[in-house]
Amino acid sequence: MAEILLKNAYVIDPISGINGELMDIAISGSRIVEEASQKAEVIDCQGYLTLPGGIDSHTHTSGTKVNFGRYMSPEDMRAGRTARRGPMHITSGYSVPTTYGNSYRYSALGYTTLIEGAMAPLEARHTHEEFKFTPLQDSFANTLFDGNWGMLRALEEGDITRAAAIIAWTLTAVKGFAIKLTNPGGTEAWGFGKNISCINEKIPTFDLTPADIIKGAIRANEMLHLPHSVHLHCNNLGTPGNYTCTIGTFDLVPDINDKRQSLYATHVQFHSYGGSGWGDFCSKSEPVARKVDFSPQIVIDMGQVMFGRTTTMTADGPMEFNLYRLHHDKWSNHDVELETGSGIIPVNYRKKNLVNSIMWAIGLELALLVKNPWQCLLTTDNPNGAPFVKYPEIIALLMSKQYRDAEFATIHPDTEKRVPLPALDRELNWHEIAVMTRAGQARALGIIDLGKGYLMPGAEADIAIYPIKTDEIDPSAEYEKVIAGFSRTEYTIKRGRVVSRRGDAIIDGENTTYWVKPKVPAVYDMQHDPAFIELFERYYTVRMSNYPVQEEYLHRNYCIETETDL
Amino acid sequence: MNVTITFRNRTNPFIPIEAEMITPDAFLQDKEILVGEGNRTVPLEALADLVIEGDGFSIEEVDILIRGDSSRVKRVGEYMNGGTITIEGDIGMHCGNFMSGGRIEILGSAEGWLGREMQGGEILCHGDAGDYCASGYRGGRRGMRGGSVEVIGSVGDFACEHISGGEVLIHGNTGDYACAEMKGGTVTILGDSSRVCANMSAGTCYVYGSAEEMIPTFEKKGIVDHDGLLFHHFMGDVANRGRGHLYVARYTYLQ
Amino acid sequence: MEIRDVPCPFCGCLCDDISVRLDDNRILGVENCCTLGNAKFLSKGRLQHPIMRKNGKWVEVSYEEAIDETARILSDAVRPLLYGWSGTVGEAQVVGVHLGEEIGALIDSTTSVCHNPSILAIQEVGHPGCTLGQVKNRADLVIYWGCNPIEAHPRHMSRYTTYADGYFIDNTVTDRKVIVVDIRRSEGAKVADEFIQIKPGGDYLVLSALRAMVRGRDDVVPDSVAGVKKEQLQRVASLMQKAKFGAVFFGLGITMSRGKYKNVRNAIELVSELNRKTKFTISAMRGHFNVYGFNEVLTWMAGYPFAVDFSRGIAFYNPGETTVIDLLERKEPDACLVIASDPGAHFPKSTIEHMAAIPTVQIDPCVNATTALCQVQIPVAITGIEAAGTAYRMDGVPIRMKKIIETNFPTDQEILERIVTRIREMKRDG
Repeated sequence: MAEILLKNAYVIDPISGINGELMDIAISGSRIVEEASQKAEVIDCQGYLTLPGGIDSHTHTSGTKVNFGRYMSPEDMRAGRTARRGPMHITSGYSVPTTYGNSYRYSALGYTTLIEGAMAPLEARHTHEEFKFTPLQDSFANTLFDGNWGMLRALEEGDITRAAAIIAWTLTAVKGFAIKLTNPGGTEAWGFGKNISCINEKIPTFDLTPADIIKGAIRANEMLHLPHSVHLHCNNLGTPGNYTCTIGTFDLVPDINDKRQSLYATHVQFHSYGGSGWGDFCSKSEPVARKVDFSPQIVIDMGQVMFGRTTTMTADGPMEFNLYRLHHDKWSNHDVELETGSGIIPVNYRKKNLVNSIMWAIGLELALLVKNPWQCLLTTDNPNGAPFVKYPEIIALLMSKQYRDAEFATIHPDTEKRVPLPALDRELNWHEIAVMTRAGQARALGIIDLGKGYLMPGAEADIAIYPIKTDEIDPSAEYEKVIAGFSRTEYTIKRGRVVSRRGDAIIDGENTTYWVKPKVPAVYDMQHDPAFIELFERYYTVRMSNYPVQEEYLHRNYCIETETDL
Repeated sequence: MNVTITFRNRTNPFIPIEAEMITPDAFLQDKEILVGEGNRTVPLEALADLVIEGDGFSIEEVDILIRGDSSRVKRVGEYMNGGTITIEGDIGMHCGNFMSGGRIEILGSAEGWLGREMQGGEILCHGDAGDYCASGYRGGRRGMRGGSVEVIGSVGDFACEHISGGEVLIHGNTGDYACAEMKGGTVTILGDSSRVCANMSAGTCYVYGSAEEMIPTFEKKGIVDHDGLLFHHFMGDVANRGRGHLYVARYTYLQ
Repeated sequence: MEIRDVPCPFCGCLCDDISVRLDDNRILGVENCCTLGNAKFLSKGRLQHPIMRKNGKWVEVSYEEAIDETARILSDAVRPLLYGWSGTVGEAQVVGVHLGEEIGALIDSTTSVCHNPSILAIQEVGHPGCTLGQVKNRADLVIYWGCNPIEAHPRHMSRYTTYADGYFIDNTVTDRKVIVVDIRRSEGAKVADEFIQIKPGGDYLVLSALRAMVRGRDDVVPDSVAGVKKEQLQRVASLMQKAKFGAVFFGLGITMSRGKYKNVRNAIELVSELNRKTKFTISAMRGHFNVYGFNEVLTWMAGYPFAVDFSRGIAFYNPGETTVIDLLERKEPDACLVIASDPGAHFPKSTIEHMAAIPTVQIDPCVNATTALCQVQIPVAITGIEAAGTAYRMDGVPIRMKKIIETNFPTDQEILERIVTRIREMKRDG
């Protein structure tokens, strides 16, 4: 087996309790080991900042709507074209790069693991096909259940066990990783052009409220002992005053898992808005962050907005339509039968736009106000808030009050009256950044046991070495150096191989797709359940036998089997 | 600085040449001019005789003359920001893409996408221009945004599509859908046009000839005098909440 | 032996409920299939060996020689064209894209000559669509515009729309209204509640008029638009707005008539406008079973759905310039690889003449009209019957095509991989 010895690595590994120690790391094959033999290739890290490979716990890189974002946007494709070079294929796209583009650019940032934020089960095969062409990162798929008729019917009957059984069948069939709820109830209502305005409002077509769905899914999730918690995109995304809905949602969450949170709430920036309309739109990051501080059972991610062009894409079809009515640019929508919806529109976040400026501030405020970095992870909901290539700038903003102030001076002047950001002096340190970009993700996703997110013997050798010497840079003043350092690793190591060197991918990789298979007793195996089969055969347009994603799509995969309480 | 580029005859004259480096700026900076011939990249001298006379200290002093068969040479003058380019014969597609300054004169005809996404400067084409003259790119939000284009002959379909600024004067006729999705600028068509200004939202267009198959969703505003002639004034496109102005001397509907 | 739930490798409906009866590795009969699909499953007659023209005559050659010759032709070319792709699976298309990248080719699919304008329109204004099951379960108004499902997609109405069982539809025959729009009274017009006959080339004008009416601006619309009375347009605009869920399906009648993508754009903008009042979706009736799959594959790999030019080392896309017909009319290609389509049967004469004048290679199981234009033809397994892989339905739902017959013929993917390997060897050996 190939061996590598990393010498003089300046390691921050929060999971292992290491906060800045100069050490050697030995790699044999795909894992970190106690020590390497004489034959090991030696890489001198020169005291550079060495972190576990980055993990993006919520990004949109693969699948039907991501590809449609590319398909409908030749102007975005031409904005990010690179030529074939060495083992690197051509890439296109700025805000929605091609699969190779995503993979090379994430690798240059030191990311080795990606969680696709929303996979519609019916179209799962597509997501897995694109995973195959995202070669330098391991892949996980959050699977959409917000409008799953089988699950909704079971919840309507108050039968959580049956709901769990349906979730188990579906995750196994589509090779998914976790339960994703996007605007629960809202996507089903959107089937007839409606939406849901509150967690206690009944869905027009089922005798259920979003609150019922969220509570039911959380309980079902724990019955199945899934590694990750329910992953929620709250109702009312993007509407003024929605923070009460967000806090109301957090109130529903019991603390029922002692290893991790019971609810992961994603892109909370988009859900922390005050005001009764766009006229008095303002930040409500403070009450939301306070709520998170008092709720150890909740982990959130930022959903940071950065200025410039991007493409928004989400399963939240009705929200995208509202956005279309505001922007009046191109709009795509794609409802998925019996399951969910989706929408896409391009946007340009502008500094001179007050609402956009407030949004930019809110994301940063959440990260600075939430006390425990393990509870607020760094994302842009790529590409919704900004393309992921902006991560280094976000890190620098979080580490430097001076940088924030400099940026603040360039945005809409009225922002000051609507947000608390100027008053926040906190500057995050290297350790906190490491938590928010990899360690926190590994814990929240429940994948530490799989060897993710840390650098001790036994761990996957997924490592990012940044050309940053922490004792030579003052991040609060030298934020340009922080940006440069996090923009291009010196080495990105994926499963024991150097895959990226100073920004260029140097070998063809091969990723692993992780999926879950809850062990369900025969009585709860939906494969043989007459009512489930009938629902399928009457209302889906695909035969039940053709629905599951075959093993052919998972060239290299890791099945996480879970014991269940069914 | 006078640059004369004479394209030689080629064994296979149909292979396109992409010559985005042929701009006054590149010669001023004394760059090696590489061009694409199909999937090969070659120095310009492999395909053309190149004569450079005199020195240039600013872009305004650079004049390029293109001779020989340049009908398959694309992207000449792309991102041009000053100086002049004169083309003795016909020119291939995308001449003057993204140009922001200077002047291009084509003594023959131009292929499609002449002055695509142009921002400034002048283009004068003595012959005809192909489809998408002074237009935008696919998925386009904005076409030509500034500068001027004058075509002495006629133009193909989709002329001035997505145009959002600048001035265009077409002496001959246009094909179908001239000024489709127009968002700004002024377009004058001295000949006839067909389905002109479909889905326009702003800007001004004059048709001195006949506007065939008028889009049925323009609001009639009356008759006005312009340039000593009487024009029917329309506003629209109402289908699109548009507030553009369309003036036509004559028009027909497909009823 | 009977194999059930076989997806049909014919049209974009990708019906996946076909039963095939087999005996001794031969298909005896097919159930649930339409006549078009039936013919495909039961087709006979194929090319048994690779063939090459030598001294003006066809001779049988080995796979190795045919692949060698193909690799030589493609490596030597300055402007190679890779065309077709819609009748094969994604796994082969992926190799084709890598091949195109490797040799600096222009790659295009049959999309170029069918729904090319739909894609251009979507790139301007987006696409409010849905999977077909949404229509089946919810639509109370179905509009077929410029298409003839009864002939081109025979099971579309029974599986997905008018006659399909729907969750929110009590009586599928009486509770769904159907509008058919066409330039002539087609078969579909007979089952329509409302038939709109438009003068040829008038689709755009009618769509504009409907958009204005949905916006409450009937006042500007003349008494008659492209042969349609204003009263009928008003009636239709009202039907659309009263629907709970309206679904528009459109075909080549819109995309291939005058105005092309502007027609589709206008239809999409009408649907977007209707979404302010009620629920509406619009979908293209795609032809080949995997024409949409190629669009998906090329998009995730190169960023654009069709007509990509790799000649400058990056992906360049500009339909009208990089599209197969335009390219052939300008006589640009100096070599051509055709796979999984039959341009010889459909393309304009001048373009076919150019294909015949340059070295053209075809990968296809059968002798067809394109064979006559070729220098080399390499027979392969029939995708969807003898070879498995991924296809995308017209609504984007990916379905795994099955292999139900054993064969000794290599698959499209295998042949393409061998060509790529051979080209790399030639490059390496100079």
